[in-house]
Amino acid sequence: MSGANLYATTLLVYFFIDVLAAWGLNLQYGLFGMYNFAFILFQSIGAYTAAVLTLGPPKHVFGTQDYFFGAQLPFPLPIVIAGGVAGVLGLIVALLLSRNLRSDYEAIVTFGLSIMALLIVTAVVPLFNGASGLAQVPEPLQGTLGLGAGAYSWVFVGFSGLICLASYGVLRRVQGSPFGRALRAVRESRDGAAALGVNATWCRIVVSVFGAVLAGVSGALLVEFITAWSPAAWTYVESLTIFSAIIVGGVGNDIGVLLGVFATEIVFAEGSTFLPTSLPPNLVGSLPWILIGIVTLAFLWARPQGIVPERRDCVRISKRRAAAVTWDVPTHGDFADLRDIVDGGVASGRG
Amino acid sequence: MIFGSVSAASEVVPAIGFGIATAAYIGLGSVGYTLQTGITGVINFAYGAILISAAFVAYAVNRVGGDLWQILVVGGATGAIVSYLVNKLVFRRFVRRGVSRFGMLIVTLWAGLILQNILLAIFGGNYLHITTPAGHLFRVLGTKLDTLQLTGITIAVVCVVGLAILLKFTRLGFAMRALATNPDLARASGVKVARVLDYTWLITGVICGLAGVLYSIAVGAFHQTSGNAVLIIMFTAAILGGVGRPLGAAIAALALSIAMQLVTLVIPADLNEIVAFVALILVLLLRPSGLFGVAREADVEVAVA
Repeated sequence: MSGANLYATTLLVYFFIDVLAAWGLNLQYGLFGMYNFAFILFQSIGAYTAAVLTLGPPKHVFGTQDYFFGAQLPFPLPIVIAGGVAGVLGLIVALLLSRNLRSDYEAIVTFGLSIMALLIVTAVVPLFNGASGLAQVPEPLQGTLGLGAGAYSWVFVGFSGLICLASYGVLRRVQGSPFGRALRAVRESRDGAAALGVNATWCRIVVSVFGAVLAGVSGALLVEFITAWSPAAWTYVESLTIFSAIIVGGVGNDIGVLLGVFATEIVFAEGSTFLPTSLPPNLVGSLPWILIGIVTLAFLWARPQGIVPERRDCVRISKRRAAAVTWDVPTHGDFADLRDIVDGGVASGRG
Repeated sequence: MIFGSVSAASEVVPAIGFGIATAAYIGLGSVGYTLQTGITGVINFAYGAILISAAFVAYAVNRVGGDLWQILVVGGATGAIVSYLVNKLVFRRFVRRGVSRFGMLIVTLWAGLILQNILLAIFGGNYLHITTPAGHLFRVLGTKLDTLQLTGITIAVVCVVGLAILLKFTRLGFAMRALATNPDLARASGVKVARVLDYTWLITGVICGLAGVLYSIAVGAFHQTSGNAVLIIMFTAAILGGVGRPLGAAIAALALSIAMQLVTLVIPADLNEIVAFVALILVLLLRPSGLFGVAREADVEVAVA
């Protein structure tokens, strides 16, 4: 298999996996306003779960690799279970955050949670082999498909792309549904949404679990593809980068987020491989991060809605009707917008 | 074996002594942090990176022969300049732009990460070490502390007392306290807000830089990312003590430092920061206004970044 082919398939798989994770976070942060800096934890638990369920029982066949539990399950099961385990973690985080914290405090609580988990997994080696992490995870169906490395990579590209496509379909349906509008209502005003009868705690649980499942599946796919996973792969910087992708692409817009992932994770992160080799190696390593940071700050400053702003299709009514409606809908600033959002939901079939 | 047996009382006293020694830099940094956040209203998650920048510059000066006092001066100056510039060039603009609280967190996190990567580009990714003579060992209340540790504790205490005098007895300190209590009222009463904020960033920057130098001396080896864990501990102390209350932050930092040393008698030493994380999560979830806080800040926020 040629080098270019390998590079192309690797980039494509990374891209699909990053998009999947970013959509999960976009559902939590962009749509609902859950400020979850422990998001990478969901991806990580998915990756670890899939790894130990593929590696088989820890019998030290691979030298010094040490982990607390292992099994050898057939192909789709490790990925499915990884999503499930991540979902359970999502439920726990949602319950932890049910106290309606200030947005930045909510982010810092989850930030602390993420770093604490990293500290524990790194220090307690028998859990997931500590700082060295798990390696030599067998690729799914590698033996049974009987394909060469090149063709196999393309199958993996297709598989992760298909999962992405399916997730997009589900996310579109959720966002257009009355439930999706309820999520946006909570984001705009927790008190206002509560006054209109939206149960924010329930919304948070659903969003957190669903987002976590997407992240868990993305982590599982990633570990099955690169065959290794270690604490270096899930520092807080990874969560921050996904937030950046969402902010650059468009908060609350899945197509925008896809573009944002392309800009941050592919153009900047991978672009560094094309930097001239005459540059000092430390600069090559740090330049992508400096650039992603500057681009994120630039977007927050000049275009906080991102490349593709969120679609507000729930309030699309004809001008004539809008004129008629203004007669009896009081406009009290933010609250009027909120009424539009929730009324739009009622009008399109829930009530 | 993860959990050892609880050690004899003879090990408790040295652990407390070592806790007090680490409280020198943690306490100093926490006091600077709580003042910065209380007065400027910015939750600065680049604080750890600024702290470690000071340590890096101190390292460079130490390499060409700088002694303890010289690297302290250089570190303090670095902290002040970097804090001032980061606020002037980045934070202040975003605050004036009306970016949401969460947006500001993203801004400060990225500012810190950019700083870390600039340090990486200049100094490389190796662990660095500042060489200063440890001096003599002294027996203090049943524990052994060396000259360096005692100097660190003295510097921290002098700085905190100096800050208390500044806040209590000078016009600038009065204006700072006014700004922390009620920014609008302070502005309406003729406080030159922009100037007071500039001074706040400079002064808390000096404190941050000094804490960075003390930290780098105390830990032995440090790295671009070393500031992150320190930041979490200092932030926790600031919240525990109540944002904007230097005395509360100092007490909380002392308690945290001692607790973090005491747990090493029971759990592995590289897990001792868990104390800070658990304290952080619990205090933010249960009592975000701090242990001694009265008023609860608003829980709800409207805008999304």
